[in-house]
Amino acid sequence: MPDLLHVENVSKHYGGVAALKSASFSLWTGEVHALMGENGAGKSTLAKIIAGSVKADSGAIQVDGRAVAITSPLDAQRSGTGMIYQELDLFPHLTVGENIVVGNLQYRERNFVRFGEIDAFCRPFLDQVGLHRSARTIAAELSIGQMQLLAIARALSMNARILLMDEPTSSLFDDSAERLFGLIADLKQHGVSVVYVSHKMSEIFRISDRITVMRDGETIGTRKTSETNADEIIRMMVGRELKAGGRKDRKRSSEVLLSVTGLKTSKLKNVSFDLHRGEVLGIAGLVGSGRSELGAALFGVDQRESGIISLRGNPVAPHSPRHAIRLGIGLVPEDRKLQGLMMQMSVLENSTLGVLGRLQSFGFLRSSREAAEAQPLFRELALKYSSEDACVSSLSGGNQQKVLLAKCLMASPEVLFLDDPTRGIDVGAKEDIYLIIDKLASAGKGVIFVSSELPELLRCCDRILVMREGSAAAIFDGANATQEQIMASAAIGEGASG
Amino acid sequence: MKSFAGLAGILVLAIVLSPTASDGSRIFLQLGNLTDVLRQISVIGIIALAMTFVILTAGIDLSVGSTLALSTTVVAMVLTHDFAGMGYSLHIFVAMLAALAASTAVGALNGAVIALLDIQPFVVTLASMIGIRGLAKWLSGNANIDIGFGQDVAAAFAAVFRQKSVVIGSYLALAVVFWILLGRTVFGRQVRAIGDNEKAGRYTGLPIRSLKVWVYSLCGLLPGFAGILYAAENHQGNPNAGVAYELDAIAAVVIGGTRLAGGKGSIAGTIIGTLTIGVLTNMLRLNNVDSNVEMMIKAVIIVLAVAVQRQRGVE
Repeated sequence: MPDLLHVENVSKHYGGVAALKSASFSLWTGEVHALMGENGAGKSTLAKIIAGSVKADSGAIQVDGRAVAITSPLDAQRSGTGMIYQELDLFPHLTVGENIVVGNLQYRERNFVRFGEIDAFCRPFLDQVGLHRSARTIAAELSIGQMQLLAIARALSMNARILLMDEPTSSLFDDSAERLFGLIADLKQHGVSVVYVSHKMSEIFRISDRITVMRDGETIGTRKTSETNADEIIRMMVGRELKAGGRKDRKRSSEVLLSVTGLKTSKLKNVSFDLHRGEVLGIAGLVGSGRSELGAALFGVDQRESGIISLRGNPVAPHSPRHAIRLGIGLVPEDRKLQGLMMQMSVLENSTLGVLGRLQSFGFLRSSREAAEAQPLFRELALKYSSEDACVSSLSGGNQQKVLLAKCLMASPEVLFLDDPTRGIDVGAKEDIYLIIDKLASAGKGVIFVSSELPELLRCCDRILVMREGSAAAIFDGANATQEQIMASAAIGEGASG
Repeated sequence: MKSFAGLAGILVLAIVLSPTASDGSRIFLQLGNLTDVLRQISVIGIIALAMTFVILTAGIDLSVGSTLALSTTVVAMVLTHDFAGMGYSLHIFVAMLAALAASTAVGALNGAVIALLDIQPFVVTLASMIGIRGLAKWLSGNANIDIGFGQDVAAAFAAVFRQKSVVIGSYLALAVVFWILLGRTVFGRQVRAIGDNEKAGRYTGLPIRSLKVWVYSLCGLLPGFAGILYAAENHQGNPNAGVAYELDAIAAVVIGGTRLAGGKGSIAGTIIGTLTIGVLTNMLRLNNVDSNVEMMIKAVIIVLAVAVQRQRGVE
């Protein structure tokens, strides 16, 4: 039986940089094929080439044994390929239904939009993915998890036999991820093949049939999932042994650094907790439970309606990020491209942007001081960069995250709110971030660590606060809690508190 | 510098196509002609410096032409007003100060409305483009205020500020100041940053509102100064002056490679863009090209210049 999809020696260069040197792999009918590799390994580029949104420099692609030229997403659609992008490519101001039918070869568009027809066309696909919203809902009103389901429904409606998913769970909490895995299994039953790009070892081993590992723009090898193990895959990914660090217990001080009582904003109902000096407090919760909104309230982005925030025993009322930073609160936002970095500015410029006040005299920048202050921090964060004048957009996701962290740390905050800092970054960079979090806590800072991945919370945090529907639902001790307890508390409100 | 290639191309073309004088030399290359080019571009060039900052913040300022008209009107009104016993230097100083204050106030108002009410710069400055033109006409009673050639203070003012060396010198000095402001100061860095990603700028704690007010104030101040030069050159305060100057200034900035979406651009690029337009105009005029045809050719050059930069940018 010929391969459903066969990719041979595909390459892609941007300027002088090779994003993809030589990638080859084949996809069988009805299998879930994982593409793994550190960020910058070329997985996303390869997926985008197959999906037609990036044009390869050289190489051949065959579908059903026939050579195909994929130069646009429309070509990909004709060959039965659909892609679910990490940054979901939806039209936020159009309805769910319109998002599905725009550019859809399976739906005959007319000169006038007929919402009734669109509804009828979309319903089966929305039901199949379990998105229980009207097709006339504006896409921007959906949660991120729902938007992803919409993107999958769209691909299915285009008769996709090959579904490419780029880091599909990076923004989902475990329960939505569960639903996604169920959906993938169901699709497999119906003969859809899935190329699944991810960093997450646990999911890969759960859902994939085969694994292809990429490193530095090349495909290193393909293994049957049942015949390999995490150690081997990690070795192939990094080309060296990577020891997964264990949980480390810290001594946290009894001094309360940050105390929040009955905090209420337009998006938070009632949140109370204490953060001690030298403590890492994890925040778990479903998407939309108020995790990021808690950061927004502490950082002065969302205005407080009632409740008390105290820093070192003194009530404070941060009314803007500028004010919050001056109070000693730092925030690493969830979306590093949208809220975090200046993508056209250099590594150095990004890192010092918040503290230019102390790097100037009479308004003029002291570039030597700027570099002198930033470099030690870059070393401490194990930042990999070609030059500090390199544009930050040329860095891998993990290194961009470190630049963002550097920007935040430059201002020497006492309380740090890290909103999903490991989202979509590679294993090596994640380990670096865990190390940094530990160092910060040891240095007497208070760290609030939001994450969608429970294992990393259990590994890094002294205590874990579970958010549910805008309120603090429970607090668990990091050393003794289990994933099941936290999940139960986050999803349905069962489980011990204390 | 990508836009530099475009300028070099136009320069070569201007030299090759230049008509020759009686002694066989090319008129384009004569010192008098070259300085004429510089003098002619100075007014738009000065406005384009400030426009670069505005566009870097992902904004736009359509009101600069009207602001220039207001400035010419105010400076001429004050100069032709009789302050008994006031010395010439002080009188000229007061007139210029009044014109600069009025135009900077326009910019500050633009900035304040944009920053505080969070209305799109296009809309706000479109409104002030209309409103400030009205103000200038109202102040002058809808008539030009003539500055004579006699011995009075107004004539003395014009005699100084219409000199080639003063005009070109001010442009060069301002260009250097703005080049340093953008490249070497905290202000310049922050301006680029908020244009690159305003939301991230907010999360970084940048004073976004005050930065915008400052940027638009500069974009009032410089057209104000350009208006003073304009009044001297044309010997009058003219409430109808500067129509469509905003478009010339924006064209210079864009040819210079500054992104209309903000965050990326340079003063050097803007100067090159200004020179490109200036040399092109001069070339066409030396060859007696019809002024209507000149506009059509300019239109093509603008698109070509940006297209060439884009091509290279994509690589």
